[in-house]
Amino acid sequence: MLKDITIGQYLPGHSFLHSLDPRTKIIAVLIYMISLFVVNNFFGLGFMLLLSFVVVLTSQIPVKFFFRGIKAIIFIVSLTVILQMFMTPGEIMWQFGIFKITKEGIHQAIFMGTRLILLVSVTSILTLTTTPISLTDGIEHLLKPFQRFGVPAHELAMMMTIALRFIPTLIEETEKIMKAQAARGADFESGNLVQRAKAMIPLLVPLFLNAVKRADELAMAMEARCYHGGENRTRLKALQYTKRDYVAAVLCIGMVAGAFTSRFI
Amino acid sequence: MSLEVKHVTYIYQKGSPAENHALQDICLKIDEGEFLGIVGHTGSGKSTLIQHLNGLLKPSEGEILVDGVDINQKESRAKLKELRMQVGLVFQYPEYQLFEETVENDIAFGPRSLGLSEQEIKERVQHTMELLNLDYENFRNKSPFELSGGEKRKVAIAGVLAMQPKYLILDEPTAGLDPRGRQEFLELIAMLHRQGMTIVMVSHSMDDIARYAQKMIVMEHGQIKLSGTPQEVFSHPVELEQIGVGVPTLTKLLLRLKERGFHVRTDLFNVNEVKKEILTALSERKGDTTC
Ligand SMILES: Nc1ncnc2c1ncn2[C@@H]1O[C@H](COP(=O)(O)OP(=O)(O)O)[C@@H](O)[C@H]1O
Ligand SMILES: [Mg+2]
Repeated sequence: MLKDITIGQYLPGHSFLHSLDPRTKIIAVLIYMISLFVVNNFFGLGFMLLLSFVVVLTSQIPVKFFFRGIKAIIFIVSLTVILQMFMTPGEIMWQFGIFKITKEGIHQAIFMGTRLILLVSVTSILTLTTTPISLTDGIEHLLKPFQRFGVPAHELAMMMTIALRFIPTLIEETEKIMKAQAARGADFESGNLVQRAKAMIPLLVPLFLNAVKRADELAMAMEARCYHGGENRTRLKALQYTKRDYVAAVLCIGMVAGAFTSRFI
Repeated sequence: MSLEVKHVTYIYQKGSPAENHALQDICLKIDEGEFLGIVGHTGSGKSTLIQHLNGLLKPSEGEILVDGVDINQKESRAKLKELRMQVGLVFQYPEYQLFEETVENDIAFGPRSLGLSEQEIKERVQHTMELLNLDYENFRNKSPFELSGGEKRKVAIAGVLAMQPKYLILDEPTAGLDPRGRQEFLELIAMLHRQGMTIVMVSHSMDDIARYAQKMIVMEHGQIKLSGTPQEVFSHPVELEQIGVGVPTLTKLLLRLKERGFHVRTDLFNVNEVKKEILTALSERKGDTTC
């Protein structure tokens, strides 16, 4: 059941998107996000929606993965939509006691809902088509210019890599410990809130202890191999922009231009 | 009274691209009082199989009967706790499940979740600890995390034994122990078996299985490849070699001697019996100088 978590999941493939440089993809996603908030009318929103369809099709990733991602945020989306609908002041369309729906509210609700869904879908395309390792590589490179302002780019990237690396391990271990305690009569599923919180102790204590122990061992192993941070470190696979990345850059410029133009329609 | 596995198939991550048929049409019957050994290569499905026996995993197909009752029926699922009291399962490296502040509380976790009285719990903890050669007064208030590896494992196993299960299932109970610790544990398991407990033990050591188990199964790719008494199973050394589990050291020795033309039986697993057999065979060949 814990295996259903799809955050940061990567699906191997050979699409155009898979072969792009991670830096290109990260920047493109950022530009897409900005464009999402630049557009302010239905032409613009339709344009962004269309773009996301094209990107999803290009990625060759089964559509069900996006639906799963959307299902995970359905609660947040509904909450946003409802709040926007009732809380935005403006021309009243429908009223019942203190509850009123305004024309502006509906407009806002549609916008925010769509934006959220598109945000999540496009971000998941990034993680679905990029291995965690190259993703952190890309982030490290993009943060490099900020190093002179004290941003520890390499360390941040290394921490992310390690964290991503250990998510599956921790999930696996959680399942194992849950089973082992269930074999001793532990019950994680029934009871009231307090009882359930208490039932987590036999799970959390061993989990944390093992995590700390593992972190210790990892640190030791890294030190034994003379790891000492990013200084003068070279890479086995250096990142390299290719022709595809320039194509993608041109398309991104087109996207921004489209988003701005749509404001004047 | 028995544990019965009927045509059980189990698929991990069913429906996803990573679908994995960990068990395929397994049939198995473990009678009360028996000692069953399970061997097989890593990844052959041993751990998956035993997790079915106390309802931790639900078969994708087939059924599990404990004392004749299908444990995955609706009414039985509601009584899972009682089932887990009857079928005690000790996982591999069980010391990673310790979590309480004191040894006594950790062992009491199982009995307590069964809702027994404090008096009864205390008696059970004390009894179990003594069974495992853990001095009650000395260990009860210690933190489980300050114990040695072998002691930790004892405490973890005590946590299951304190539920007084009828069937005890152990997943590689001696993995990672030193030779003396292994021996001590095996003797303990043998003693529990003599006292009437049904034992199912997963092991990588053919020597241990040959010595203690009454019946055994050999698994490969989620299927049972060979089954029967150790005598029967270990009379197929070629197949066992192919499956990658091999035969006990003593069997290997006897087989080699036989290859060299000695007249020895190859179905003995006891050091003394083997010694006698070899001496007899040697005296038969006295005067022969080929060796
Ligand atoms: N939690 C799990 N999720 C997915 N696959 C698993 C899981 N546990 C085991 N497997 C797979 O099932 C197969 C059998 O594993 P297991 O029963 O652990 O074998 P064994 O105990 O004999 O080493 C292996 O291929 C293993 O990779
Ligand atoms: Mg195993």
